Amino acid sequence: MSGAEQLSQYLISGLTTGAVYALVALGFCLIYNTTHIVNFAQGDFLSLGGLLLYSLLAGAGLALPLAFALTVLGSALVGAALERLALRQARSREVTVLIFITVAASVFLRGVFKEVWGKQALAVPSFSPETPLRLLGATFTPQNLWVVGITLAAIAGLGWFFNRTLTGKAMRAVAINPRAAALMGIDVERMLLYSFALAGGLGGVAGMLITPITTASYTIGVIIGLKGFAAAVLGGYGSFMGAVVGGLGLGLLESLGAGLMSSAYKDVIAFVVLLLVLFLRPQGLLGRGEAARV
Amino acid sequence: MEPLLRVEGLSLAFGGVKALDGVSFNARAGAITAMIGPNGAGKTTAINCISGAYRPQAGRVFFAGREVTGLAAHRLARLGLTRTFQNLQVFSQLSVLENVMVGLHAVTHQGFASAILRLPAMRREERAIAEQAMAALEDLGLAAVAHRPAGQLSYGDRKRLELARALAARPQMVLLDEPVAGLNAAETDAMGQALVRARDLGVGLVLVEHDMALVMKISDQVVVLSFGQKIAQGDPLQVQNDPQVLATYLGGRQEPVNGFAAGAGRGPAAGEAAHA
Amino acid sequence: MTRGGRIFALQLAALALGVLVMPLLVGNPYYLNVLNVMALMVIVVTGLNLLIGFAGHISLGHAAFFGLGAYISAVLSATYGLDPWLAMLAAALAVAGIALVIGLPTLRLAGNYLVMATLGANLIFTTVLLQLDQVTGGPSGFSGIPPLSLFGQAVVDDQSFYWLVWAAALLGLVVARNLAQSRVGRGLRALKDAPAAAAALGVDVARYKTSIFIISALYAGVAGSLYAHYFGIIAPKSFDIFVSVELVTMCLVGGMGSLWGGFLGAAFLTPLPQVLHVFDEYKDIFYGGVLLVLLIYQPQGLAGLWARLRARRPLETA
Repeated sequence: MSGAEQLSQYLISGLTTGAVYALVALGFCLIYNTTHIVNFAQGDFLSLGGLLLYSLLAGAGLALPLAFALTVLGSALVGAALERLALRQARSREVTVLIFITVAASVFLRGVFKEVWGKQALAVPSFSPETPLRLLGATFTPQNLWVVGITLAAIAGLGWFFNRTLTGKAMRAVAINPRAAALMGIDVERMLLYSFALAGGLGGVAGMLITPITTASYTIGVIIGLKGFAAAVLGGYGSFMGAVVGGLGLGLLESLGAGLMSSAYKDVIAFVVLLLVLFLRPQGLLGRGEAARV
Repeated sequence: MEPLLRVEGLSLAFGGVKALDGVSFNARAGAITAMIGPNGAGKTTAINCISGAYRPQAGRVFFAGREVTGLAAHRLARLGLTRTFQNLQVFSQLSVLENVMVGLHAVTHQGFASAILRLPAMRREERAIAEQAMAALEDLGLAAVAHRPAGQLSYGDRKRLELARALAARPQMVLLDEPVAGLNAAETDAMGQALVRARDLGVGLVLVEHDMALVMKISDQVVVLSFGQKIAQGDPLQVQNDPQVLATYLGGRQEPVNGFAAGAGRGPAAGEAAHA
Repeated sequence: MTRGGRIFALQLAALALGVLVMPLLVGNPYYLNVLNVMALMVIVVTGLNLLIGFAGHISLGHAAFFGLGAYISAVLSATYGLDPWLAMLAAALAVAGIALVIGLPTLRLAGNYLVMATLGANLIFTTVLLQLDQVTGGPSGFSGIPPLSLFGQAVVDDQSFYWLVWAAALLGLVVARNLAQSRVGRGLRALKDAPAAAAALGVDVARYKTSIFIISALYAGVAGSLYAHYFGIIAPKSFDIFVSVELVTMCLVGGMGSLWGGFLGAAFLTPLPQVLHVFDEYKDIFYGGVLLVLLIYQPQGLAGLWARLRARRPLETA
């Protein structure tokens, strides 16, 4: 394989994982914008997506489109439950406490997933037959296309939702100023619920897209979730556009880094980048220069 | 003589809005300089730029003979410049006394190592801090509640606590963001007297305030801002009769009416009588 | 001495007495071993609690600092033949340096970036341990670590290590309390409450937060070194992110930011796996569930519950 061919190979695998990071990063941003907390359970929504898809396809024998829709619904429900049953019940409004409720929920969910689905890796079939495709000398599978295509569709869908629907606009209003939004008659609590459901659904989608490539397991979301967070920071935490750019950028960086240097430290790259960004440009690569300093 | 605080051409824009547009003024030690102006005139932004909370996009700030533009807040505190906040910022988890003890942070020194080892020097300093803080509380009539959690104080007491805390270290200058907002008449009067006492001890005070009666009564100098620009400066009497100020406050009418005039009417003469 | 100072002295004396008589009550050396692990956890969690209580930040990387202390001590003493005490000192310096590198960029920022940075650092640490197997022994671990020695005697058996580790734990509590009752402690509590006001009064917020983070990491590093020289063998699994979550759980169960919270949490949660045999299988559900319930309904932990019960008694001085 020539150098150019190898490079395009890295680019394709980088874009694929990058798309998944972008979806996870978007989930982080959604919840951060409405609640100002970091949701540590975001990665577990991703695990859940893969596991649910496995059960609905292999266990219940459903057709893929139906299984896909039900998985989105299922992970959105778990997201909503996190808001309604845990965060909203909290006695304390301290951000530290709220963030740690999501940490606890993450540990709890992981424990539940382990009981229900066991510890082993579960193979999920690709969305379409695995005939290898070739482009610019690189070989890739249709699943790569599914990942990038559905991610783009999800981003477009989010854009439409936030700019064109009343509910989407109400959620943006809550993100900007919850008190003013409440005074305008917006049901703030409902919007918080929606943002968790939406983040859950996005996590579920990310999980379904990646598990045919990685297999599903109860811990698959932990590392991918953290990388999604790194992507969100990279793009300027809270910015949707930044999340997408940060996700794709991180995916590419990781795949190039692993290919050109060493794959042993592939997982380390994201966190080194995260620390570097926090050090050099805390407002993120795309954020404006107004990062809140203490 | 060089004024204690010299502000030159301060500018800061948020997006397209010019919150401050080339504002310059001086403030002396042992004097009260009031900054007034309609809401959104840039008064709090000016305080935030001077106190290191914001970095101005243009302009320079000089304090006690050296440039301090954009200097971090804790460094300014060590130079003797501190501030209070519009929305109260008492340390609600700390006791009232401890709040004021934090006020002495800038002029005391014992660090982590001596704290961990509990060195005699550190214990001596702690005793001195506690005594000085208690004296500051007595000055403002808060000694009786010294050991209560600050979060339990009434709104008026918390306002006084902020002032006690800011004055505890005997700073050269304090920036006060609306020190009497939300206080009743008696509390406002007491606060005004406390400010005048601090001035008479030589502290320079810069206050942002909407209470015109108080401003006109205690100020030595008034700076008027409107839409980010300084439109007038002078002693209370000059400012009250400045046509541009009247236009800004009263929407173009030339004769003083309503609250502004009522405050003006009680003027500096009344203030001097009260404190003579 | 202030009233608070007397109460602390009494509590500490009671604990010291408990530490003294415990070996007489415990016949089985296995339980002595559990008590030793408990003391190690008391040290780590007390340090973690300093960070939470003073800076309002949470670290999910304290298992990595614990592990760094253990591995650096192990490699320097076993591979390079350095005296274990010197190895421990070197490990502490390295831990402080790494904490500085992580804390400096993240603690300047508003919001809880430290959580993710420490979590990321913990993942990097585990990866490096597994990959650098020539140095660290990889997944199977590192063995043959020499014990510490005191007065010419090797601290090998459970009984002698018991005295050493509990003395260290008590010292850790005294240091934490000294910090709390000082000018810097007051500055730290102030900046947690209202950072802008603390800065305006002269508290260097970023430096203070970074300092307390380093001190907090040092507690973990020292405990890690003690751990390595006590067990003689260490493996990456003892220092992964799940252990970090357990440490934070102990902190929250005991009482976030309370002086005795670290002790209470570690004392309560360390023996649990030994008591509940089915525990390992349901560990995540248990830890997650306990944390959830506590955080939602009793965010002040056991220490908060204790304070509330005491407050219910009629006040002597009303």
